[in-house]
Amino acid sequence: METLLSVQDLKTYFYTGDGPIKAIDGLSFDLIKGTVFGLVGESGCGKSVTALSIMRILPPAGKTVSGKIIFKGDDLLNKTEAEMRGIRGGEISMIFQEPIASLNPIFTIGYQIEEAILSHLKVSKRESKKRVVELLKAVGMPSPEIRVKDYPHQLSGGMCQRVMIAMAMACEPSLIIADEPTTALDVTIQAQILDLLRKIREESGTSMIMITHDLGIIAEMADSVAVMYTGRIVESTDTRTIFRDPRHPYTIGLLDSLPKGKGEKLVAIPGMVPKPSELPEGCKFSTRCRYVIEECQSSEPPLKEIDTGHWVRCIRSGEIKRL
Amino acid sequence: MINSNLLTVRDLKKYFDTRAGFLKKPAPVHAVDGVNLNVGQKDVLGLVGESGCGKSTLGRSILRLIEPTSGEIIFDGEDMMKVDNRRLRALRRKMQIIFQDPFSSLNPRKRVIDTVGEPFIIYGMAKGKALKERVVSILEKVGLSSDSLYRYPHEFSGGQRQRIGIARALAVEPVFIVADEPLSALDVSIQAQIINLLQELQTSLGISFLFISHDLKVVRHFSERVTVMYLGIIVETGKTEDIFTNPQHPYTEALLTAIPMPDPSTKRKKIILAGDVPNPAQIPPGCRFHPRCPKRIEPCDKIRPKTTDLGGGHSVECHLRG
Repeated sequence: METLLSVQDLKTYFYTGDGPIKAIDGLSFDLIKGTVFGLVGESGCGKSVTALSIMRILPPAGKTVSGKIIFKGDDLLNKTEAEMRGIRGGEISMIFQEPIASLNPIFTIGYQIEEAILSHLKVSKRESKKRVVELLKAVGMPSPEIRVKDYPHQLSGGMCQRVMIAMAMACEPSLIIADEPTTALDVTIQAQILDLLRKIREESGTSMIMITHDLGIIAEMADSVAVMYTGRIVESTDTRTIFRDPRHPYTIGLLDSLPKGKGEKLVAIPGMVPKPSELPEGCKFSTRCRYVIEECQSSEPPLKEIDTGHWVRCIRSGEIKRL
Repeated sequence: MINSNLLTVRDLKKYFDTRAGFLKKPAPVHAVDGVNLNVGQKDVLGLVGESGCGKSTLGRSILRLIEPTSGEIIFDGEDMMKVDNRRLRALRRKMQIIFQDPFSSLNPRKRVIDTVGEPFIIYGMAKGKALKERVVSILEKVGLSSDSLYRYPHEFSGGQRQRIGIARALAVEPVFIVADEPLSALDVSIQAQIINLLQELQTSLGISFLFISHDLKVVRHFSERVTVMYLGIIVETGKTEDIFTNPQHPYTEALLTAIPMPDPSTKRKKIILAGDVPNPAQIPPGCRFHPRCPKRIEPCDKIRPKTTDLGGGHSVECHLRG
């Protein structure tokens, strides 16, 4: 088991007029080579900021203030901008949520994929053109030789996402970060794209970070998973365990919130995610937690290993079980 | 279950005229192309389908928020298509809509009391102090406190705004509500709160729903019956459990297996459909689903199948069952 990426105590803050917003506050996880790591949470929990921090493409107001991002033995936070340019799209590539918005509308898709190849690999124009067609074929684009001349607006959302995946695959990266890759797509198209990602992983052994709000996608795609809440991991373990034996009240709440069939009232999590500027003292979930005790409100519990590889940020994890 | 029909829609059509270019011939988009459906008293009919299949257009056409091209909409014994504007307005009091996006469907310059109270003023039901009291009692029903009365939409979260949208719809005591993707803009934990609220209101007030959603898990939870739409037509209708456990149309079957299930131990065989959701301006001949159908047979690309009644309120439009 070789660790490909190790994020250690990462903190990314956004500096606004009202003071810093701690979007990520002490995040740590390891990605084992060849596996899919799922990051799940609701909007605003910091899962996308995690991806942007790793790629170092945060918007101007955002800054990673401390921590380490060890990728293949080197800390990405110590790389120069020029070195990062080589890594982005070369070693690590990213697939975004809005496929149509992430492609440049004024260039053909063939040109855009070719650009990704030429900026990272030393190949001739002719070879790169051939490679573009191969890549499009591999992601299931019908008649790729003709489609290379299409502009993004001529393609459907699902097809644009295939183009994005082809581009991400162009330089055979060792890590793909997929940030809600199917959220903007219809169910039947989502099934196609997930199937494609699964195939890529089987055939090329690419490691992936899968960011999603959908626990169903985690169940289908990920080997291990971390549940995020207000910029921290509250529980992390292998995928089977998170569904069989969740121990953090938030994870349990998320699973209980899902409709399972006809019928009974759902067990909803009361209240809503607190604003980043109004986080409670102590455990950040304490304001919505059913199991809250006085101790929860005084100091924030650490992420504790309750079983081999099963980490939970809750002082009562020993007594809590999902019914 | 369904004692008497509250709403009957027959052969409803809505075509939109589009023009690809100045000199090109207009090509009508058949957004809703001959839909039949029934909603009973206290019934919840789930309407599922992918984007562009016409489900929102259908929902809005039923309320005549979009003027249908042709067809019949019998609501409470009256044909909505034939009544004059005055009568239409009276009928509309009984039918309301909840919109998808709680961020754009509320007027940002109106306070909660103005938004929720407006229907009372329009229908002359209450004003002044009585109005305020009624708004407060509706807000209580949807789980909002009375101190939200004088606040503006931007002061609320997504889930709370959707509660305001629901309160507005409930104000005139409707018997029928079209809920157009009321949950899809919300986070999972908030979704569950809103589903619970809708369900409570449905049982306590006996309101019938046309519940439009692309999320099949939610539809299964909330609906009595389900109808599946594809490219402007209904391909299958039935009781919720029949549709989910015994789907008859290949499209329904594919939709059901496509949902990622939050349980890693279930290994289901997925039916992955080839191709894209087709363009409603270029409807394929024969069965509309045939270019993507894994079970296509001889007549599918030429002859459109008839609706087959399978009994027990289950009907399907497919040659395999015809």
